[in-house]
Amino acid sequence: MSHSTVPRPRAEAKTPASAPEASEGAPGDRAPGGRRSGKLSLRLRLRRDRTLLLMVLPAVLLILVFNYIPILGNVVAFQDYDPYLSENGVVAIFQSPWVGFEQFERIFADSAFWHAVQNTFVLFFLQLILFFPIPILLALLINSVVRPRVRAIAQAVMYLPHFFSWVLVVTVFMQIFGGAGVIAQTLRQHGVEGFDLMTNPETFKYLVTAEMIWKDAGWGIIVFLAALSSVSGDLYEAAAMDGAGRWRRMWHITLPALRPVIALLLVLRVGDALTVGFEQLLLQRQAVGVDASDVLDTYVWWNGIRNQDFGYAAAAGLIKGVVGLALVLTANKVAHLMGEQGVYKK
Amino acid sequence: MTPNSATSAAPSRRSFLASTAVAAAVVAGGVPLLSACGGSQEGRKEGTTSGKDAQKLLPTFVASNVVAPDLPAKNGAPAGFTKAIATADLKTSVPKKLGSGGKLKVMSPFWGTPPKGDNPYYTAMNEAVGVEVTWQNQDGVTYDQKLGAVLASSDIPDVVVVPGWNLMGKIPSAINAKFADLGPYLSGDKVKDYPNLAAVPTEAWQRGIFGGQLRAVPMPGSYVTDIAPMYRKDLFEKKGYSVPTSPDEFLSWAKEATDAKSKVWACDDMKWTAFNIFSVFPGSDKALWWNLVDGKLVNRIETEEYLEALEWVRKLYAADVVHPDAVSGKAGGDSRNRFTAGQSLVFNGNISAWWGSVTEQRAQKPDFDMAAFDIFGPDGGDPSLWAVQPANIFTFISKKATAQQIKDFLALCNYCAAPYGTKEFMLTAYGVEGTDYDVKKGLPVKTTQGVNEVNGAYDYTGNPAPYTAYPDLPDVTKGMVEWMQRMGAFTKKTSFFGLTITEPNRWSNLADNFEQLEDDVVRGRKKVSDVQQAVSDWKSKGGDGLRDWYKKLLDDNGSAN
Repeated sequence: MSHSTVPRPRAEAKTPASAPEASEGAPGDRAPGGRRSGKLSLRLRLRRDRTLLLMVLPAVLLILVFNYIPILGNVVAFQDYDPYLSENGVVAIFQSPWVGFEQFERIFADSAFWHAVQNTFVLFFLQLILFFPIPILLALLINSVVRPRVRAIAQAVMYLPHFFSWVLVVTVFMQIFGGAGVIAQTLRQHGVEGFDLMTNPETFKYLVTAEMIWKDAGWGIIVFLAALSSVSGDLYEAAAMDGAGRWRRMWHITLPALRPVIALLLVLRVGDALTVGFEQLLLQRQAVGVDASDVLDTYVWWNGIRNQDFGYAAAAGLIKGVVGLALVLTANKVAHLMGEQGVYKK
Repeated sequence: MTPNSATSAAPSRRSFLASTAVAAAVVAGGVPLLSACGGSQEGRKEGTTSGKDAQKLLPTFVASNVVAPDLPAKNGAPAGFTKAIATADLKTSVPKKLGSGGKLKVMSPFWGTPPKGDNPYYTAMNEAVGVEVTWQNQDGVTYDQKLGAVLASSDIPDVVVVPGWNLMGKIPSAINAKFADLGPYLSGDKVKDYPNLAAVPTEAWQRGIFGGQLRAVPMPGSYVTDIAPMYRKDLFEKKGYSVPTSPDEFLSWAKEATDAKSKVWACDDMKWTAFNIFSVFPGSDKALWWNLVDGKLVNRIETEEYLEALEWVRKLYAADVVHPDAVSGKAGGDSRNRFTAGQSLVFNGNISAWWGSVTEQRAQKPDFDMAAFDIFGPDGGDPSLWAVQPANIFTFISKKATAQQIKDFLALCNYCAAPYGTKEFMLTAYGVEGTDYDVKKGLPVKTTQGVNEVNGAYDYTGNPAPYTAYPDLPDVTKGMVEWMQRMGAFTKKTSFFGLTITEPNRWSNLADNFEQLEDDVVRGRKKVSDVQQAVSDWKSKGGDGLRDWYKKLLDDNGSAN
């Protein structure tokens, strides 16, 4: 998040001249092979940074093994992949017949896929509008509580649902909002029939968002609270001295302090837009039907794991990955235009 | 259907899964059902093996007559045993220990909580069989998700159990690629080395032929449907209801009996019973979906009966007589719990739930009573039912296993396949006397330790011919067996009954999503016309090709009926 994380090591390492203008120096440093225009050669730089490089190595290896190498497996999206062609599933990749873009053609012709895409985006926007602001509001609320005891208790109560499994969350909602739940039975006693929020495909998207808010909104406040705690109390005092009221202090001090965090989380959220829940939706799949509950992740799972149609699911996953990448780049760009740091900066 | 966990609160897992996919799917809450078959490309067999080719592979049948059943097998129903056998009268079916003392790692589904590995029951079994078994138990409900991943890896356990309803997508080709041929050890008279396995019915062995070789030790089951509509007899009597005898009567009774204010609904999801009422071809095994009608192969999804059954269930849902939690499907919980709690008066499930529920409920509610009512036809009167596969859980041994390991595996299966009335049966089903069970008033009763330890581990590694034996509740045993006998009288076989068929790869995923479409239709979220649309898509995407493929198979192999 800080502007200075990239250049700082270099500033300490014998190139004081480049330190103040680190953002210009950085791209040159990254070019492999080393330029001659007064820069250090690659060998020298390797030697200079060897301790740091060694420290990074384990993490790089992990990312390579678990993130980058598996990317190669995406090749099955272009195959009629059958893992049982060989003793070894990886060897089977080389033996599976090549089908080009056939899997993608099948996907684009599948109405269920488009339902899943639509649901994914609808849920994403709903979550963005209804879910995203809530942790901020809660954080402001908690921050305004002075008594530490009350504060601790309130925080604990809000965090707790995060640790419940989705099965439990869905069951709790079922017991309250289901067709045989508390509300439905109470209404029945008063002659009103037919209340059942759990099986209504039209309102399902709100139900899912509500479940999510109940479960995770409390957890989401942690980052905001941390950002709030870094705001100096002097600012508030000074503002109060100048006659700023409660709202003005929030508008001019608290919210600007939160802005970089909000922007960062927003960018991350947009990059993750196509991930809108999995277990939660799978659990309620039968309750509202596939058309209302299928999102990209459950679609991939259903076809890949449940139906063992690996190539097809890999193709769907690949589409999701590509769209997700485009979204995160766009969001980052927008963040830059707004003058924020975003996830990374060139 | 064994007295496997006589005092356990849960239904016997063995019986729970005794014969069909449907059973578990309904009871356990929607185990994926559509058992698509994968195919083969390079030299691996697709299709099936029957007739003379199968004769060469099948083991010789040698009947075992240890104890004469009180209710002899009739109309395809299992044999019933209602009396307990005193310890002193137990026979011995495995006189000589067949195991070599070797080790086997077994991966199998498990419903419930597996016990610790070094308990007295396992130790006694290992000692008696002569094989040291290490269990890799996986949750039965999500077994299909693990199975695919394990089989796709290069390191598979020595022995793997595969339920028939998990034979989806490419699993059949995995089986042909990864598991050993048991033919050299079992075909023809060779099986006589394992007398209990020789007493396994031939039609069950026929199902064990995968990809042209005898690869599986099957778990024999009755071919009569075991999805029964069960009702609360006690509540019916209290309210003065009589059991419905036609679909229309059921609907009008259901409307009368539903009292949502008091949290009582007439029934749970009745889809599987509806398929039986309207005589839809079985849904438990892909090959059974087809039947020859007037010289043309017809798939279950193309039939009028299929649509009629869905329409009827849809009426039940629309009339709000189905428990609201059933509408939620998996998220709503277990249908049997709603039934025993009195929130629903009728539910359908594996008939073994009859025994399971009665043993569980009588402890608190002595008046609890239930029964299964006879399936009626679409206009009332006699139904016309279709046979399910005579074996639907299979146990395989890895191709990498040594000859000695294969012999140990068969020794294990032979031991567990001991029939009712033997010492081996008692050890397998009840555990160690004095530790896992005590004999009280002539009946074996499991101790708490027995309930926790003897709860299903050895259910799939070998089983005798189909039987029902609950000596603790002779009336329930009788009710269950007689229901199946009555239903058996109306049961016919579809064209591919008894065969294990591997569909070509390109069509194996064709009908994967029909089950969820059915669920949408009956709940009113989609229309019957959507099913017709899906069927015409299915036809054009390969359904007709698949029909020709099955027709050729039928012409080459001949029909089962």
